[in-house]
Parts: sequence; C-alpha cells; structure tokens
Amino acid sequence: MAKPAKKIGRYKILSELGRGAMGVVYKADDPNLDRTVALKTISLEKDAEGRADYQKRFMLEAKAAGKLNHANIVTTYDFGEVDGMAYLAMELLEGTDLRKRVQQGAIPPVEAVEIGCQVAEGLAYAHGRGIVHRDIKPANIMLPERGPAKIMDFGLARMRLADHKTSTGIVLGTPRYMSPEQISGQPVDQRSDIFSLGIVLWEMLTGRRLFSGTEMAQVSHSITYDEHEPPTRVNPELPAMLDFVVARALKKDPAVRYQDADEMAADLHTCLAEMRAREDEEPGEGTRTQKLSVDGEPTIVGPPAAAILTDTRLPVSRHFDSTAALKRLGKSARGRAPRPVGLLRRIISDAPARRLFVVTVLGAAAGSFVAFI
Amino acid sequence: MPAAKSPSKSPSFYASVVFLKIQDFARRPATEQARLRAQLQAVVAVTAAEIPPAGRVMLDAADGAAIVVLDDPRAALRLAERALTAVAVGLPLSAGLNHGALQLAAGRKSGEGMTGDGIAVAASVAAFAGASRILASRTFRDAMAEAAPGREAALAPAGTFNDPGLRAHELFTPNHRALGRRSRRYSAIAVLLAVCLIGTGIGVRSATPGQQPFMEAVLERTEPYWRELVQRVSY
Repeated sequence: MAKPAKKIGRYKILSELGRGAMGVVYKADDPNLDRTVALKTISLEKDAEGRADYQKRFMLEAKAAGKLNHANIVTTYDFGEVDGMAYLAMELLEGTDLRKRVQQGAIPPVEAVEIGCQVAEGLAYAHGRGIVHRDIKPANIMLPERGPAKIMDFGLARMRLADHKTSTGIVLGTPRYMSPEQISGQPVDQRSDIFSLGIVLWEMLTGRRLFSGTEMAQVSHSITYDEHEPPTRVNPELPAMLDFVVARALKKDPAVRYQDADEMAADLHTCLAEMRAREDEEPGEGTRTQKLSVDGEPTIVGPPAAAILTDTRLPVSRHFDSTAALKRLGKSARGRAPRPVGLLRRIISDAPARRLFVVTVLGAAAGSFVAFI
Repeated sequence: MPAAKSPSKSPSFYASVVFLKIQDFARRPATEQARLRAQLQAVVAVTAAEIPPAGRVMLDAADGAAIVVLDDPRAALRLAERALTAVAVGLPLSAGLNHGALQLAAGRKSGEGMTGDGIAVAASVAAFAGASRILASRTFRDAMAEAAPGREAALAPAGTFNDPGLRAHELFTPNHRALGRRSRRYSAIAVLLAVCLIGTGIGVRSATPGQQPFMEAVLERTEPYWRELVQRVSY
C-alpha cells in the first residue's frame, strides 16, 4: 500500500479512518464544496494484468453505486482515479459499525429489528435498481450517532470477489456471511443479500456467530448444510415471529427464501410493531411465566432446527406439557412392531368376522341335521 | 453453530405418530406463518385433549407439529380427523399417520426430543398427502388391526408412493363407510354360506337311497314332543 498521501485528487487528507482488504479509508476535505468526506482508496498496482478491465469495472460499479440515493445507504459523492489509485468519496458518518456493536454482545431486540428493517429497506431500494451488494456483513453496516443504519460499500464487493477468485475458481475472502449459492460460486441475485442479512439479524439477536469455523471448508459446509438454531431458543424472550422471519431469510434454497428485501422489511416491521406493543403494555398487567431449571441443571436448549429437516429429530414442544409421557418412556421401553392378528382373536374381537363364523357354524349344523336326521 | 450430538443409547419403542403439516408453510409470509402456527397450536391443544397427558408427546416440526400417541392407534386416527376439521377455519393442514420405531433424542437432557423412523415416515406421508387429506402407512393400519381387529377396515387403500429415500409406502386413507360396507359384505357372505350348507344337507339327503322324506322324518321325530306339549296346554 502506498504511503498516506497529503492529497488525493482534489481531496485534502485529514486523517486515516481505517484499512480494509482493498485499500485505506481517509477522512478528507473536499475544498470545492467545503465538506468533509470519507475517501476510500483502492489500490490498482497489484492488478497490472487485468488493469484495464478492472478500471472499467470499477467505473461501472462506482457509477451504479453513485446513483443510489437512500436514507439507509451511504451516499457516494464522487469517484475517480489518480496516480494508479482509484478512489471513492463518500458521506462521512460519525458513529460505529455494527461489527463493533455485535462484538459487545446481543443487541436489544427492538433495536436489532429496527436495524434489520433499515438495512432491508436500503437493500430493497438498491435491488430495485438492479444492484446487488454481495457483501452484507456487520462491518458494512454503519450505525451513525444520529439517524438510521446505513449500508456501505455497494458495488465494491463485486470487484473484490472478482479480484480474489483464484485460477481454480475458488472464492476467497470472508465467507461467513455468504449465501450457499454465493459460496459455491453460482450466480447470485438479490436473494443472496437477503441470506446475508438473515445471518446479520441472527447474530444481532443472539450475540453469537452463526457460521463459525477456522477453515474455509468448515464455514462453507456449515453455510451449505447446517440449519440455524431459532433465535427464540437462544433468547426465549424474543417474539416467536422472529423465528419465522429469520428462518425464511436463511433458507438454503433461494426459491423458498424471501424473494425481495421489501417482503422481509414488511415482516420485520410487523415484528417491530408487536414488540413495541408489548413494551407499551403496563408492567404488572397479565401474567408472566418463567421457565425454571430443575435440580440445578441449566435451562434446556432444544436441538437445532437442523435436526428437524435432516435426521427427523424433533424437539419436544414448549407449548405443551409432555413430562408425564416422557417420564413414562424413561422408565421402560414400550411397544413393539405390530403383529398379524390371529383367527381366534379376530373371531372374538371383530364383530363382522364373529357374525360370519357363528352363521357358518349354524348353517353347517342345520345342513347336517337336514342331511342325516 | 452448535454441532448436532450423536444419538444417545436410550431404548427405542414403537408408537403411533400423527404428523400435522401446514401446506406450503415455507412459501408463506412470516406474518402468516406466525398466524398459522398459533392456529395449529390451538387446534392441537383441543384435539389432543382427549388423550391423557401420559399417553402423548407433543413435538414441534419446522412446518407443523407431530404428536406421538403411545397407547392407542385409534386415538391417533381420531386426533388426525379432528385436527383436519380445522381446514374449515382456514388452516391448510394435511396429516400423515405412521406406527414406527422412535427413540428419545440425544441432548443435554434425556427427553429433549424424539427421533426415529416413525417420525420420518409420518413426515413423508404428510408431505405426500394433499391439503385436508389424511394418509396412513401400512404399519399404522397393522397397528390399528392389532389394537382393535376389524377397525383397520376404516382405512381404505389409497395407492403407493416412493419417498425421497426411494422407499415405497403403501398408503391408506380413512373411509368410515368402508366399515359399513365390510359389515354388510360379511353378513351377505354369512347368509350365502348358511344357505349353501343347508342346501348341501338337502342335496345329501336327496341323494341318499331309502331316506324318509325330510318333513315326514321331522314330524315323526318331533310328534311325541308336541303331543305332550298339547296335553299340558289342555290341562
């Protein structure tokens, strides 16, 4: 990476904000408009071979991203190239990114759903204009001190992914937020962003990592095959409807996932309304139930939903009390495979068969009487 | 992501499984999914009330619910039939019935869930059944026959299908008219048999040389009895 320049194009560098996979982000001053911007630089030196192609793609993507003007998307003001370095001048936001918030633990549910809604709305706007983000992750979601969450780096992921594709076609980078189709190298559309947002939402609600692993193959396998644990199993205080929203966003098959981000945003708004209504309820009204652990054992967490689909392991419902039956089963194994019913039992227990038998016997007796009297 | 644990060594057992599946659940909006799920819970609560708590285990499924009925397959069939009446109030259900092997699932504590072929087949059968339809497997029918011989006739053949594991299943669907038809058929066969047997008796008598005519023989043999009867009545 080149040394921090004092000036890039017409922008006067004020300080360094951070470093990423593609370059450095500076706080810079735009003297023409007298405003402070975030200037993202992208080094082109490493891409000498396909440089012309890269430059062309960068211009196309930056132009497309520059057209996005939405409250939940970081605005791109300007872009250009100077001294072998491409740059993007973007709206400078005071605040933190979602990654740092999630690292501190689960986000309060109402706030998490609000952020999810805002990101979904931003995505819906971009998708409506034919732009897919391809790299939705907490680090790309800004939480300004004031105002709604904003999505960063539209269009850049495509350049980065194309850049990091090896000769064998393996996609490198941070795969933990990729969709199954993206991680397998198949073409992606807006539904891939929805899957990524589903992961972000799950992590916000639970404060855990959904697909963790130290190796690419491990993460890739998890994304492709492992089903997530419903958020309410991790945090029973969450409304059950969030399970459905997250489950739908995290469907492995894009055909049964949310088909557009608007649909997901609408569902999240409904969840939000329900959660706010619950918050507004007077404390002390109605009853509140709390699950108590037995014999000092920790509260049972049910098996992951993965089991439901893959090996038919179903969790005991929390809505019904099955303790008596489970205790009974615990004491002794019951039942056996059904056996064929014997003739005698059938005659005793089956009324039509019994009638047939009796009438036949009587008929035989009558016939004998007639024949031999 | 917590890794799935290997199954524990809890003993397996046989029981009837009613798998209630909400049709096209995955394709519905989450708001509707939540509504349907709540409706299903209400339906299950009402329909399962007739089974004693020690006789059933309620399980959650991704797109419905499974009820393990430990004692009586007839109760499982009744439960499925009553649950399917909820279709009328806008709950698009199908039901799969199976009687098969089950096991308490491994977990941090025994009894956390259930697994087994009993559930897998019931789920496959429910997935195969169309909206507002009940289908039962051959083993469920056999279990019905064992519990109450003759009642299995209420399950009429409904064809066969291959599940995703390429296992062929012979399926049956409830048809309570079949019970009446069977009863009438058995009665008709009984009458026919009786007529045949008496006819054979008459034939044997006619074919035997030197036999007294049947009515004369009857009258001759019964004469002392009815004479005595007449005398007693006269007194």
